[in-house]
Amino acid sequence: MSTKPIYFKLFGTLSVSIAVVILLFLASEKQVHRNNAFTRRYPPHPVIKSYDLDLGYNSYYIAGIDKDILYLGNSTAPLHLLRIRLGDRDTTHIELSLETDLDSVRTKILNIQVLPPYFFALDGITPMILRGSTDNWQATVWAKDRAYFSKAQAIDSNRIAIRSISAKTGRSVLGLMERDDSLTVTLHPDILERKLDGIFDVDGAFTITPDQRHIGYVYFYRNQYLILDDRLHTLQKRSTIDTVQEPQIKLTSLSEKGTTEMSAPPLFINLETALYDRYLMIHSNRLGKNEPTDMLDEASIIDVYDWKEGTYAFSFYIHHVEGQRLKEFKLFGDHLVALMGRHLSIYQLVDAYFTKSTGNPDHEK
Amino acid sequence: MIWLPYSVSILYVILFIYAATSKLWDFRQFKIQLGQSPVLTAYADWVAWHVPVTEYILAFLLLWETTRLKALYATLGLMTMFTTYIILVLNFSDYVPCSCGGVLEDLGWTEHIAFNLFFILMALSAILATGTKSTSKTSRS
Repeated sequence: MSTKPIYFKLFGTLSVSIAVVILLFLASEKQVHRNNAFTRRYPPHPVIKSYDLDLGYNSYYIAGIDKDILYLGNSTAPLHLLRIRLGDRDTTHIELSLETDLDSVRTKILNIQVLPPYFFALDGITPMILRGSTDNWQATVWAKDRAYFSKAQAIDSNRIAIRSISAKTGRSVLGLMERDDSLTVTLHPDILERKLDGIFDVDGAFTITPDQRHIGYVYFYRNQYLILDDRLHTLQKRSTIDTVQEPQIKLTSLSEKGTTEMSAPPLFINLETALYDRYLMIHSNRLGKNEPTDMLDEASIIDVYDWKEGTYAFSFYIHHVEGQRLKEFKLFGDHLVALMGRHLSIYQLVDAYFTKSTGNPDHEK
Repeated sequence: MIWLPYSVSILYVILFIYAATSKLWDFRQFKIQLGQSPVLTAYADWVAWHVPVTEYILAFLLLWETTRLKALYATLGLMTMFTTYIILVLNFSDYVPCSCGGVLEDLGWTEHIAFNLFFILMALSAILATGTKSTSKTSRS
């Protein structure tokens, strides 16, 4: 009789303690996955480095991926392609030939995109697009003087997503160049969301899934991204874990010249991106809570989002090679390739983190 | 059994002072680890301060006869919370982080649970010993 209150108290203490931790756990899960608390989570080793490759030059960019073959374009040698078989690291040099002579395109901005069995050579200022077969690497004119563009993303052999300036409004618009019997250009002014001037504030980058079914457009200066289908219909408009919704950029209009310029360095919220299946990865150099500052000197932070669920999954580091920071990265199959200076790093994605549905993990240990 | 609450308390005092000090010793690291912990991410700042401070206060209260029983209840609660945390992390979280300071870091998770359960049992028996002692006192008078 006399010991009963003690057992009562003990039972109370135990159950209250357990309940408090469980509640904290549930609340924290919710906050991190859904809110803009901006606290990153770093699980141990979601990606494992397979190897580094020294390319010899730092002017390479990723031009395309086909199964385990990576194509690298070179911005200082615009007609040179490097083909790397990732399995055995076998490299081949490819020389492209264009139907037009090099004087008629801006070689400095000529961008090569390889989508086997085709490849594109894109120049948005001339403007000119050439297309060729990956069998003989000879390109012929696909579109000429049709639309100027500042960004382009080849979707398939007959379609290219572009970002252009609308002649009507003077603002950035996304559009689709498409070739059936003839070439059509359709602009979609409703996709990009203007916050300030409609040009600088909507600046961002395209990214595409390896199967070319989904296209991402990630804004540089705000915490938002768009997922579009291959006909540029907006599927999702999502936010990242960052809290900056309004672009932190300063613009000055030079009225006598009729131009607008950035008058202060902008605050970059999102840098390079990669899209694979339902995962969107964004390189960000913004630090969240409890993150050591010196880490930014050693590695680049990649945030992983599940765009279908609209959730933040987790983050991981891509370590710099010889002090060179991340320039570009892409996903394909269960690999991640990252370009850093003259080095290429190949990472293996760990299944447990990328195949399960996020937010409801059920693996042990 | 009069010695039991006292010796359990002394064991806990040593454990708490050791654990709290090792956390504060490398507080920045501790905070980062807590922040990366899947269970507490959103509360890392708050929890990082409260855990070692609570441990010190309890260590102090356990030393005094008058506050010992209450401190033992609080200790039991805290230990239960730690253990619940470990079990949650092991079973329900996306990944298992590495935290805990000092030699406890070298314990595996199973050993860690066993270690905690042992301390919980000690706290339980200390409370029971104190309780029956005081009730026998009151029934005698």
